[in-house]
Amino acid sequence: MHRPSLALRVAVLCYVGALVALPLGFVFQQALSHGVSAFVNALSNAEMDSALWLTVRVAVVAVPLNVVFGLGVSLWIVRHPSRFSRVFDTLIDIPLAVSPIIVGLSLELAYAQNGWLGRPFAAWGLQVMFSYWAIVLASVFVSLPLVSRQVIPMLRSVGTHQEQTAQTLGAGPVRIFFTVTLRSITWATAYGVTLTIARVIGEYGAVLIVSGNIGFRTETLTLNISNNFENFTPYQGFVGVSLLSLVSIFVLLVLGHARHRERLRHEYRT
Amino acid sequence: MSIVLKNITKHFGPDLVLDEVSDEIPSGSMTALLGPSGSGKSTLLRIIAGLESLDHGTVELHGRDVTSVEARHRQIGFCFQDYAPFNQMTVFDNVAYGLKVRRIGTAQRKKEVDELLGLVRLSDFGDRYPRQLSGGQRQRMALARALAIKPEVLLLDEPFAALDAQVSGELRVWVRSLQRELGITTILVTHNQSEAMEVADRIVILHEGRIEQVGPPDQVYDKPSSDFVHGFLGPLTTWRGVAYRPHDLQLCDVDAGPRARVVDVIRLGFEVRVVVESDQETTWVQLTHHEARQLNPVVGSWVSVRPR
Repeated sequence: MHRPSLALRVAVLCYVGALVALPLGFVFQQALSHGVSAFVNALSNAEMDSALWLTVRVAVVAVPLNVVFGLGVSLWIVRHPSRFSRVFDTLIDIPLAVSPIIVGLSLELAYAQNGWLGRPFAAWGLQVMFSYWAIVLASVFVSLPLVSRQVIPMLRSVGTHQEQTAQTLGAGPVRIFFTVTLRSITWATAYGVTLTIARVIGEYGAVLIVSGNIGFRTETLTLNISNNFENFTPYQGFVGVSLLSLVSIFVLLVLGHARHRERLRHEYRT
Repeated sequence: MSIVLKNITKHFGPDLVLDEVSDEIPSGSMTALLGPSGSGKSTLLRIIAGLESLDHGTVELHGRDVTSVEARHRQIGFCFQDYAPFNQMTVFDNVAYGLKVRRIGTAQRKKEVDELLGLVRLSDFGDRYPRQLSGGQRQRMALARALAIKPEVLLLDEPFAALDAQVSGELRVWVRSLQRELGITTILVTHNQSEAMEVADRIVILHEGRIEQVGPPDQVYDKPSSDFVHGFLGPLTTWRGVAYRPHDLQLCDVDAGPRARVVDVIRLGFEVRVVVESDQETTWVQLTHHEARQLNPVVGSWVSVRPR
């Protein structure tokens, strides 16, 4: 391929630097401005740890839910195409297309005590809004298509011949799914999972509306960061941001590895 | 293990793909389903394997009606045109797959897989992955994998189409001898008439979802039952309004019969194509290298043409 000119490369580096590297560097600089021991101390701030723990608990439920849903939907859309599944294929992109504020508001309207989904729960004495489950709902909603968007093209390119061969060799549907289908979409799924984790951990808008933002109860890490800045404890906020950034960088590294593996597979397969 | 097909009919949406196809495939034979693309040959193969549903008709294996039996219970070996290797498994595990499904113990499994890898000459490749194999090796792996379940019937969908000419030629000879050796009833789908002639002992010619003709290679070639079969099995040319195979015509002295003028001479190694023009049509006559040297046709000269 044509090698980009020096000027172009400098321009790209400056652009990315101004947008990503410098602001991020500034955050880490602020977080470490009182020294490493102060940073470590701030990491064990009770409210922030509670918020981090809540974020982890949400991710642990929301991510597997979306993996199961994403794999199921992908298989349905690719293997049993119908007019209905094609419409659905478009619909599952809605969470990415609409603003998280809209997601939050619609969930709140539907699941409020007098909303038409919230009422049956209220009859059982359960309040969905402003609880852990509201945050899970919002997180699942905003990351809905991330797994299937990765898996669908992979399923299409793999085709059905391997599965049908397994069938003629005597394998049943469950065995075929685990030994053939899933193994050929492992990396696409892993890619989707990392994207989902990143989105669930980083979600702010939808969660802000449905959680109620109650300290030590429904305050996630992103909410905690924002609260710290609003409550004039910016140092704690910077520590939270650097924690979140580290998670994101880790996710990026995993993504890069997945993509690299993917490329290797394709290079061999000629 | 004979296969009996009765009145097999299949639509894809409004399109009739197979129209009342009936045939009896004798035990131990190597049958080629030959036809142009869209003739329904691959669909018929998939129906025999149980990978495709049918509108009506029956499939019998050795007197047993298997029409409603699932593919996985039919005990039929199937190889796709792309060989469909399990890319995430080693060659050994690919071949072992059917044995694992059948819960054959580890020691026995290893013994059987090693034998099969020897049979398809891949003994040294057990630890490799399919992407590390050549096309011909992948195809042999797919064969070993299909043979592992000790099928009574082997179905091959365009087995040589994805290979280059030389590898394809070698594999044809090898597959044919392997089939003779194992005596396994085999059906292969192809659109290539020379491949069908070379490998099969019985050819079924399909055209637009119907069987046009069934018979041994010689018979379908020499006694085509329809214009379609005649044209499909080899090149045709016309001389005075009659269709001939180009090698069934010969060139003679200009006085020996109806005249034609030589317009082109194409030398293709062993064979030589001479294109002649009469007042009625353009005709193509195929000579051997030897004949061409004797006659020495020159562009622009006058000759006569006679059926041999």
